Amino acid sequence: MIEFQNVSYTHTRGYGVNSLNMSVNDGDFTFLIGPTGSGKTTLMRLIYFDILPDTGLVKVNGIKSSEMKKKKVASARRSIGMVFQDYKLLRDRNLFENVAIPLHVLGFNPKDIPDRVDEALELVGLTGKENHFPYELSGGEQQRASLARAIIKEPDIILADEPTGNLDPVASFELVRLLETIHETGTTILMASHNYNLIKGRGRPIYELKDGVLRIR
Amino acid sequence: MNKFFYLFSEGVKNIWRHKMTALTAMFSLFIALFIVGILATAGNNTYKVLHYLRSKYKVEIFFTQDISNEQAIGLIHKIKKVDGVRNATIIEKEDAVRIFKDQFGENIVELLGYNPLPVSAVVNIDRNRRDPLSIEPIIKKIKMIPNIEEIRYQGNLINKIERNYKKIVDYLPYLSSIVVIIAILIIYNTIKLSVYSRKDLIETLQLVGASSMFIKLPFIIEGMIIGTISAILVFPALFVSIKTINYFISNFSSIGMQINFDPFVLVWILMIVIVISLIGSYRAASRFLK
Repeated sequence: MIEFQNVSYTHTRGYGVNSLNMSVNDGDFTFLIGPTGSGKTTLMRLIYFDILPDTGLVKVNGIKSSEMKKKKVASARRSIGMVFQDYKLLRDRNLFENVAIPLHVLGFNPKDIPDRVDEALELVGLTGKENHFPYELSGGEQQRASLARAIIKEPDIILADEPTGNLDPVASFELVRLLETIHETGTTILMASHNYNLIKGRGRPIYELKDGVLRIR
Repeated sequence: MNKFFYLFSEGVKNIWRHKMTALTAMFSLFIALFIVGILATAGNNTYKVLHYLRSKYKVEIFFTQDISNEQAIGLIHKIKKVDGVRNATIIEKEDAVRIFKDQFGENIVELLGYNPLPVSAVVNIDRNRRDPLSIEPIIKKIKMIPNIEEIRYQGNLINKIERNYKKIVDYLPYLSSIVVIIAILIIYNTIKLSVYSRKDLIETLQLVGASSMFIKLPFIIEGMIIGTISAILVFPALFVSIKTINYFISNFSSIGMQINFDPFVLVWILMIVIVISLIGSYRAASRFLK
């Protein structure tokens, strides 16, 4: 569960989020919409404890921002899968190595890793591309690879920050469908986007963020 | 254990993945360590060079005409007791005639009808002292011995050599320290640049929940491997350089000495590399960890 209680955060350059109250229950698929610079990424960063609120409280899977210490951040992130607009794939590693990284971080037995990577790649439709490097894949494929990396550790929560920002409409639609498939396994998903047409009419809660202020749409 | 093997293999693979960066780092380190090695070898051999030069210091003492060979032997015993004198050899009147003939091709006794050459002695100076030597006090003490007519020595040359030796002894530790600091900075900056070029890797690992040590360890292993390879390459380079210098000394000069290669220099270089690579890669990786 993700919970924001009266959360404010101001960047040094002035913008940020202001008195946010929000809750995303376990197993929910929630959209966060807002124009560029409205504070969506700031909200996401608050969830994965990249920044801590100036005031208020962020609670993620029972972990409170008020009790967060630098050393605890890594372990708090292990139950969160993340997908970004720029994919954040490592260009010097092939798809298999990129997707397997979270399993190495969690200390998985090397024998179990290939099966799990195959499973994740199959789910995102990238079977057979294990040996491809990111620059050999299309934008849509790179984003699906990034999603495979997020889901391979079976996280409780997936945060997708503008995952369709660099994709064409067809690839964007397919990615949202993929997220919905993953959500069916019980994973909590929070997806930020500025593309309202992509997320409307899906029967999911939509939070709108504008100038750092949140409202339910 | 799974994690450690993975991180170790990542450190090794990173070198292969970033071949050019690794090669550049190795080359920079090699140059820096080679200079350190040459300086250390030069430092080690400074005293040996001085020892050789001191063996060439010669003080010639001429006794008064009325001194016989037997009386001169007694005086030479006194000269040998002077502090700073290693040895003294008598040149008897007859020897002096022979030397004169060798040098000028004439028998002075046949020319003049008598031997005008006095008994003399060649004095060698003590060459084993570590501190710079001052020739004047030794000469002063010898002059106090009676029946000495004249003393000839290369005073200016000896003083110049000893002054320069003092300068080297005084400044070499500072010079070596500066070179070692430069080497440390080169090593540190090379590793830092190598880490900086992969800040995207650090960011990604942080996002997937990697601990600080999980992120740093491959960089540390990579840095230590690069450092160790550079140090290992320095060994044969130093060895060949010194062999070449010795070849030129023995074949193209009249200097009767050889440069020594101290194995401890290699141990020092390896230790410097390991410590600096360890600290450098740890600090460089930490710098990019928020």
